[in-house]
Amino acid sequence: MIDKLFGWVDDRLALSRSGRHLINKIFPDHWSFMIGEIALYSFIVLLLTGVFLTLYFVPSGSDVVYHGVYAPLRGQRISEAYNSTVNLSFQVRGGLLMRQMHHWAANIFVGSIVVHMLRVFFTGAFRRPREANWMIGTTLLILAIFNGFLGYSLPDDLISGTGIRIAFSITESIPFVGTYLGFFLFGGQYPGTAIIPRFFILHVLVLPLVILGLLAGHLGMLVKHKHAQFPGRGARNDNVVGSPLWPTYAAKAGGFFFLTTGVTALLGAAVQINPIWQYGQYYPYKVSYAVQPDWYMGFLDGALRVMPAWELHLPGHMIPNVFFPAILLPGITFTLLMLYPFIEAKLTGDVAEHHLLDRPRDRPVRTAFGVATFAFYFVLFGASATDVLANYLSLTLNFVLWAFRIMAIVVPFIVFAVTYKLCKELQQTPSAGKRQQFNLILRSADGGYTTVPAEQYPGYDQPELAPVDVEKVELTADAAQQDGDEGVYEIPRRYR
Amino acid sequence: MGVVVGALALASVLFSPHAATAGPGASLSSAVLASASAPNHRAALSLGRTLFDENCSSCHGVSAQGSALGPNLRGLGAGTVDLWVSSGWMPLANPAIQPIRKPALFDRAQTTSIAQYVASLAPGGLPIPKVDLAGANSAEGFSVFALNCAPCHTVTGAGDALADGLSAPSLHGVTATQVAEAVRTGPGNMPRFSTFTISPTQLTDVVDYVTKHIEHPSSPGGLSLGGVGPVAEGFVGLFVGVGVCVLIALWIGDRNEREDTDGHGDAHSPPGGEPPSGSEPEVAHA
Repeated sequence: MIDKLFGWVDDRLALSRSGRHLINKIFPDHWSFMIGEIALYSFIVLLLTGVFLTLYFVPSGSDVVYHGVYAPLRGQRISEAYNSTVNLSFQVRGGLLMRQMHHWAANIFVGSIVVHMLRVFFTGAFRRPREANWMIGTTLLILAIFNGFLGYSLPDDLISGTGIRIAFSITESIPFVGTYLGFFLFGGQYPGTAIIPRFFILHVLVLPLVILGLLAGHLGMLVKHKHAQFPGRGARNDNVVGSPLWPTYAAKAGGFFFLTTGVTALLGAAVQINPIWQYGQYYPYKVSYAVQPDWYMGFLDGALRVMPAWELHLPGHMIPNVFFPAILLPGITFTLLMLYPFIEAKLTGDVAEHHLLDRPRDRPVRTAFGVATFAFYFVLFGASATDVLANYLSLTLNFVLWAFRIMAIVVPFIVFAVTYKLCKELQQTPSAGKRQQFNLILRSADGGYTTVPAEQYPGYDQPELAPVDVEKVELTADAAQQDGDEGVYEIPRRYR
Repeated sequence: MGVVVGALALASVLFSPHAATAGPGASLSSAVLASASAPNHRAALSLGRTLFDENCSSCHGVSAQGSALGPNLRGLGAGTVDLWVSSGWMPLANPAIQPIRKPALFDRAQTTSIAQYVASLAPGGLPIPKVDLAGANSAEGFSVFALNCAPCHTVTGAGDALADGLSAPSLHGVTATQVAEAVRTGPGNMPRFSTFTISPTQLTDVVDYVTKHIEHPSSPGGLSLGGVGPVAEGFVGLFVGVGVCVLIALWIGDRNEREDTDGHGDAHSPPGGEPPSGSEPEVAHA
């Protein structure tokens, strides 16, 4: 019966041929190749929980009087956006869990994109032919950060309102056009009432659609290029060694999706995030201390904090201080990030196709540069909490601020030198990164000691993965259907 | 030398005597504990004098007139003294740094008697306020709190660092009386809020909000991470959220090799031998 149904569908759509091709797709085995999947799955969690939230959220800046269950707000004039967010947290069954899952998933989404990007960077997976996919990935990161900020702003609470205020000032700081841009974005003077509905439609429709489209392109290119792989185990620049999509990776990916969702749900259930009812409605004249953006905007907040009070006075026009840390810095950051594959190709003169990944230690300059750059942004992220750190460490705020100013400049150089040296040392240590052979120390009856190497795992006689010669088999429908034979298929790289 | 001068300047800021003139309407339903019968009052004053002489006079002088080490307390009123002593700020080891809350050295009766004794030396200042929270409106208190208190103490009352080594202390563990005293007298770096800024009714509301909702925040949704905002949340998101997911990736991604160890005899072929099958790597060539 089911066979008949599938047969009927297949007769009309002819899915089985391309489907067969797809499910026989080989993916290289390495745990670090699965980090990007975390981003994919947390994005799915974001879509699902987000749809739930839109059922109850009212994207409006209009005033209402709060009549809900939270006593300290009762009778206060608040916006409909804030009102509906508090109500969905307290009065909708599962609403708070959904909101917290959505927020945690957003943190994990951007975080896993960054970790995935670090993996791609340090293994050189961005090199030809994958430059375009690197650029799509960078665009996805930027969009994820933007959409995170928009979503963070929607509840219209005290802290997010402060963030919108800063965003308005940053927009205004753009030379010559800033004021007009700010007015255009906010539909007039700050704060107005237009910003919540505008952010809402961008957050729930426009940006998710663009992200979804780019995600499809990202994965399509991955399939087209085939996944890059580490050398060893017979892997060469012109083949793919790994496990097939079906059943191995389908099972892994399915399990991984549920586990990622489970982690998000656990965090959403057990750890409070953004308790907006404690913050109250945002009014431009109210502000709280110890306010920062979500972590992925943290480097911008930190840059704003550590930036000395310099302005640039041009004839007839002043470039405000905010422009340098909040527009120029991210502008340069993401431009360089976007163009990095081409910059490196230019510097090294290496324009060949690469399907074999680098071990980070084998590219000490790139690795050291990457770690140093990451350290710079991590210091800026830390600088977004100068006040909280000063309070907890019982230091003066001024000292902490100056410490971060100096660290932002000094730490990258130290990190570069240390990483470079470590890479060089690792290159000369053949056993580095391999599994440790443990030793058993035995004491004999007469008191003597002897040392014998221990077994890796009981019954495991292949302690190191050495390159293996493999034989070629033509990929035919028959070969593909063979199960449990040599398992060696030939798939031509089609883009050639 | 400069250090000493700086220390004295700071100490004089911390103890600024203008805090004494709390304005006519400052006593929100306040009452000096003068209603006690006269002999008891005399006994309290005598106890207060003894305690003051033993513990306070070395800096503030034997008649609270102040010295190079501590400011004049005359005319500051019982409320100011009660706040500084009951919060454990006083006695103070080092007048150059902002006092921090520590377990109070004196019990309630002793603290009150010291405060009454100092208040008896000169007229003026804030009596110890008696806060009646019946009928208080915590929503109005929340609004006043967000406007006037949150900019330094943070909206969750966690407290935070201010410039030059000063800080706005955490509001967790304070009493209603202390909140009212602090608002009206403005200890240290804190502004003094007169009845023109925070009306007596609003003060009751703020005290209600602080003692009920800052002390015992309605905290559904799990661990509150100290109420210090999104940086703490970011660390949890990165190191717990992404971290655990990456560990899961490590676990799942390493699965193939682990499977080799249990079962499948042919998976154990030595390097250079037959290509393994089953869950072992499959290869595609160009």
